[in-house]
Amino acid sequence: MWGRTLQFLPAKSLREGLLPWVIGVMLFLCTLSLTGALAIGKGLANWSDSLTSNFSVQIVVKDPSERARQTASVIKLLKATPGISNANVLAEAEILALLSPWLGDMPIGSDLPIPTLIEVKLADGAPIDLAALGERLHATASGAQIDDHQAWMTQVLDLAGVMQMLLMGVVFMVVLSTVAIVIFGCRAGLATHHESIEIMHLMGAEDKTISKAFDQRYLAHGLKGGLFGVILAAGVLWLLADLAVKMGQGLISSSMPDPENLLWLALLPLSAAVLTMVTARITVRKALLEMM
Amino acid sequence: MISFENVGMRYGMGNEILTDISFSLERSSFHFLVGPSGAGKTTLLKLLYLAHRPSRGLVNFFGKDLATLERSALPRIRRRIGVVFQDFRLFEHLTAFENVALPLRLQGAKKNQVADHVEELMSWVGLEDRMHARPATLSGGEKQRVAIARAIINKPDLLVADEPTGNVDAEMSKRLMHLFVALNKEGTTTVVATHDESIVKSVGAPVLRLEKGHIHLQPGGKPIDPGF
Repeated sequence: MWGRTLQFLPAKSLREGLLPWVIGVMLFLCTLSLTGALAIGKGLANWSDSLTSNFSVQIVVKDPSERARQTASVIKLLKATPGISNANVLAEAEILALLSPWLGDMPIGSDLPIPTLIEVKLADGAPIDLAALGERLHATASGAQIDDHQAWMTQVLDLAGVMQMLLMGVVFMVVLSTVAIVIFGCRAGLATHHESIEIMHLMGAEDKTISKAFDQRYLAHGLKGGLFGVILAAGVLWLLADLAVKMGQGLISSSMPDPENLLWLALLPLSAAVLTMVTARITVRKALLEMM
Repeated sequence: MISFENVGMRYGMGNEILTDISFSLERSSFHFLVGPSGAGKTTLLKLLYLAHRPSRGLVNFFGKDLATLERSALPRIRRRIGVVFQDFRLFEHLTAFENVALPLRLQGAKKNQVADHVEELMSWVGLEDRMHARPATLSGGEKQRVAIARAIINKPDLLVADEPTGNVDAEMSKRLMHLFVALNKEGTTTVVATHDESIVKSVGAPVLRLEKGHIHLQPGGKPIDPGF
């Protein structure tokens, strides 16, 4: 009937009835926050990879013939530089398309000097010293300027890093709150079953025998709540992913977590169960020590 | 077997409820514990069934000094003590059989041994046909017999009963006292707390009388009831 645990507590207790639901809500918040943190981590990695694998060179010279000469020299130098897989001059139409958010459909006369843009792709994993390259380019073409996106990327990365830290902070606080809720629930359980515990003590039950009965019960509470919270969160994440796909490529869709990360989330109910059980065990053992 | 020497007991910073309590219980002895309400009977019983440690004095259980005993050693001693309460204190969600079986299960007894012992004892207390009933469906007398069966299933060296006849009628009181006396004759040291002087007289056992926290031993007399 009891297996290896001597279960002397009644199967149902009104005061503990809400505990799995509360743990479930906590796990829901925890799962969403953790997924958010993982997604930002993945987004940051993707961005960094894509932005550090290319850079652009601008040739800012007013005279068109001089600009063309410097462009040819820069292209020659770039193609001869180890670690650079491709250097491609953007067509004027592409540059005008890039400017259109600022200039609109305004006709641009031939007297407006538009710098030449060269898109440079690096070979995979090739280390390149951009500062040294910049000096060499400048020696060859005085109007050449390297833009490695560093200035604005640093700010975006900093902001994303803060967001990630905040979300991990939320996870930490949710875990702490769950522990506190389990402690309160456990103390309420101890108060409810105080007489039963006393009788067990008087019959010669050891503390570990009594706490095992609570272990088993709180493990079940944690697992039940954990499954509820994670399944609910998985549903919400699925909806978000679906929305992101419908919105097309962009920041959100590129930041959705990988399936491997989602597999890690499947371990959350087990973690919740173990956390709940260990918290209950410590609380019960501590309370039992206060009894003779 | 059990001795109290100059034992005092107070709760927190309150007044002493028991003062200079000294007595000893020899093996196979039978004592009644009597006294008016508030005299400290329940407190003394709690010391006897190891629910509390005394505030002062020496208490010796089965050759072991309670003052120097580790907390972890208490369960082993408690298993040698059976306790019966006036309000039964049965586990309401368990059947009579499961309640009685608990002390054996605590000691890790095998399933078939548990079944044999419990069935034998339930038969001895006259409840062989109520084994699978839950306490809520039992009468006061039946509940108390289940509680007695639970207290003695481990064949304890000491049986402590706190007003065991308090919630049953006169006929059942007599029947329960017969059970206690029978157990005592088999060698169980027994202490029964009661406020019912007629029971004390009918059994004729020695009396530990508590008055205002002090204890006096009165020798037993001849049982009025020849059945004892």
